[in-house]
Amino acid sequence: ANGNRDVVDPEVRAYVSSLVSALGGSGADEDGRYILGDDAIACLRDLKRWLKLYDEKANRLDVARCLAESNLVGGDLLEILATWSENATEDRLKLKVALACLELMVPLTWPLEKNPEQMTVNHHRHIPYLEIAQLGYKRDIVNYDGARILHTAVRCALPSMAQDMGDRSSRDEGIIKLMLYFLRNIAMIAPPPNVQYEGDEAEISRSSMIDAFDYQDIFQLLLTLSSTMGEDFNTQDVVVLDLIFQLIKGVDINKLFLDEKKVKSGQMDELAQLREKEAAMLRSYQTHAPTRHNRFGPMVWIQREDGKNTAISGQAAVSDSTRGLAKMDSTKKFRPPHRALKSQGGPMDFDTSARLTVTATKHLRAFVEEFLDAGFNPLFNHVRKAIDREAERILEYHPRQFFYLVSWFLEAERARRQIKAPSSRQKSVNPDDLDSFSLVASVLSQEMFVTLNRAMDSAFENKLWHNLSAAMKCFTQILITVQEMSESPLEEDQEIAENILNRIFYEETTHDRVANITRTYKDQGFGYLDSVTDLAHNYLRILERYAKQNMDLQVRSRRRVRRKKKAAREAGEDDGNDNIVDESEGEDETRAERTSNERKFDFKRFASRFATQGCVDTFVTFTGYYNDLKPPQLKRAHRFFYRVAYKQDMSVMLFRVDIIALFYKMIKGPQSLDPQSPCYKEWEAFVKQILKRSFKKIQERPELVVEMLFSKINSTAHYLEYGYEKQTVTTT
Amino acid sequence: ERSGAGLGIDEEVEVTRKPRAPRVKLDEHRLLSAAGIPKLRKRARDHLKFKGKGHEFSDAARLLGFYQLWLDDLFPKARFLDALAMVEKMGHKKVMQAARMEWINEGKPHSSVH
Repeated sequence: ANGNRDVVDPEVRAYVSSLVSALGGSGADEDGRYILGDDAIACLRDLKRWLKLYDEKANRLDVARCLAESNLVGGDLLEILATWSENATEDRLKLKVALACLELMVPLTWPLEKNPEQMTVNHHRHIPYLEIAQLGYKRDIVNYDGARILHTAVRCALPSMAQDMGDRSSRDEGIIKLMLYFLRNIAMIAPPPNVQYEGDEAEISRSSMIDAFDYQDIFQLLLTLSSTMGEDFNTQDVVVLDLIFQLIKGVDINKLFLDEKKVKSGQMDELAQLREKEAAMLRSYQTHAPTRHNRFGPMVWIQREDGKNTAISGQAAVSDSTRGLAKMDSTKKFRPPHRALKSQGGPMDFDTSARLTVTATKHLRAFVEEFLDAGFNPLFNHVRKAIDREAERILEYHPRQFFYLVSWFLEAERARRQIKAPSSRQKSVNPDDLDSFSLVASVLSQEMFVTLNRAMDSAFENKLWHNLSAAMKCFTQILITVQEMSESPLEEDQEIAENILNRIFYEETTHDRVANITRTYKDQGFGYLDSVTDLAHNYLRILERYAKQNMDLQVRSRRRVRRKKKAAREAGEDDGNDNIVDESEGEDETRAERTSNERKFDFKRFASRFATQGCVDTFVTFTGYYNDLKPPQLKRAHRFFYRVAYKQDMSVMLFRVDIIALFYKMIKGPQSLDPQSPCYKEWEAFVKQILKRSFKKIQERPELVVEMLFSKINSTAHYLEYGYEKQTVTTT
Repeated sequence: ERSGAGLGIDEEVEVTRKPRAPRVKLDEHRLLSAAGIPKLRKRARDHLKFKGKGHEFSDAARLLGFYQLWLDDLFPKARFLDALAMVEKMGHKKVMQAARMEWINEGKPHSSVH
């Protein structure tokens, strides 16, 4: 009832603050240097005990609050860590003190969970304060002038890390973990959603974090850990994973791999592009804006059937009836209830894009390249095994991070190859100079496909949409990488890619899964929608290409197999069971023709699963965001509709009033696509074609006027398209 | 002698609240009524004309306007796209599906069984 009452028990506060003041301090007579108190180590231990035995046991957060109020981290711990200079590494006492500081900082910076079932009154009271306090911790630690704090934390763990994995005691393992979690916590701290950070955003931004990691040699540590994962380190894999995830989530790969000069001009281009986009927006507004003042007061009647009239005010209706109708619509107040999107925020969100400064981009790019060269295979292979075995340290969010990171780094690797490509083409192509895809081979293995398939299945079943989204991104990137591999000049790469594609092509369960996921989109948010459509698009595209693969290529691949077998037989390795060696070239050709025909048929059957109303609806929802979509995304939607209408001959699926309205709005509406944008032309041509077809159909079959309102089931659609029922019994 | 009986104190007072006017819904009955789809079909037969080649977009505007005015007559309170979504949802009902089948069968030429 008393509003002024302290939120923390005064006795607790007294104890804690006396401990903090006993820790040490700086004074004028010491030249402002920080002097440790006589019993500083004991004080640090006591504080730790308070955190553990009071806060943790009683689930209260009171001590954490007191420590935040007394500025323990900025005022004492950082000062103490700074006194351990780089050339005093051998000082045992200093190491001990530094470790004790670290032991306090890790629980203080630990991410605060808001689990509504376990929150007590105290949590509600303290968490908002502590969230802001943690931002302060991060700012102080990253920008501390006196010493490299993050680096000091690493130095605490160096003696333990130097030991062989087998020789490390559990205390050593604990210290390594402590240091890694410290780094992870610092990287993870971010302003909570809906809170405006009052200080300088740049001090706690991702860019400042990356710059600090570079300056304090943390990237070196990450590279060492990930490249020796499995040899010198074992259980640390998930923390490293988490840490890298916090660094790269949402970073745009294309911007990362632009040249520095191009970045500068790119930024200028970006500004110019944005200005142009804005100008286009204003232009389209101005063509529809009233030409006289707002009290001019024109009023128009729309004459309707049955002697009815509708009055519309404003100039809109004077010039053309479409805009009159739009005005009539916009004055209606009723809104049907609708469900909110299930989108995600917080530290595990990877859909929000992150912007980096020029220096941060440079540093991160250097790290990414080195990681791809050395750390990718060992780390991801190790984590995958842990996930497969359902190791205890794997938490619910680790698979999601894993799949997201794999997809991100695969895309980064492709971007890097693309940059390298032109220079390698100029030289005479020497196969030894070319990079093979072995740098990322660990995620193209059969085991990875098993893990991925299982993850997608379980996420889909349990409705864990963000997990599913990450897994789909991963699958998409693997597909694209395999596709590029099949075009590689290295024979070995081609062969591996062909095998993988072959397996995917005949895997019905995967076809079903992809089609099912595409069909069942509902309110999962834009990030998910983007992943789904991207997967469906690439899956169809790559399998189509595989099905079309010319005979020549197949003949060549059989010839290659034969040559290998022959060599093997001559060496006496093969038991000669199969007769491929004895076949002739002519047989190869007939066989190849047969396979390619079979494949065409298979692909057609498979693609027809995407010509259903559910899949079309998913892409329509996606296209609804057309003004925010990037050119490749618009292209994706265009290709899909084109495929449905022309390749699958199911344009009837698009003959629905809301879809027609969307298409019309994209081209002619007040918020149409920018006519200068590269996608506008092909969309305009496509929409025109679809409209033409739909009018023709309406005239052919007047019953379509009613069916235009509804989703069609397949049999009706078939009748409307072709004019006769689909034959269910096939005669051969 | 005179108690409160004459004053009507002991009598139970009936509190009657006027029931709220039921909310108008766009359901299958409304759709199947004379103002619903039958009207749409009739209007389409009489009024829906296209200019054809070269006028695709103006024809589309005409088509959309045609549907919008019909929906405004049928269910004036909802916006065009909202009403379209409601109608689409109704299309999954059994009654509606049967009706839709019927309309389609009416249009079929009787001898075109392939």
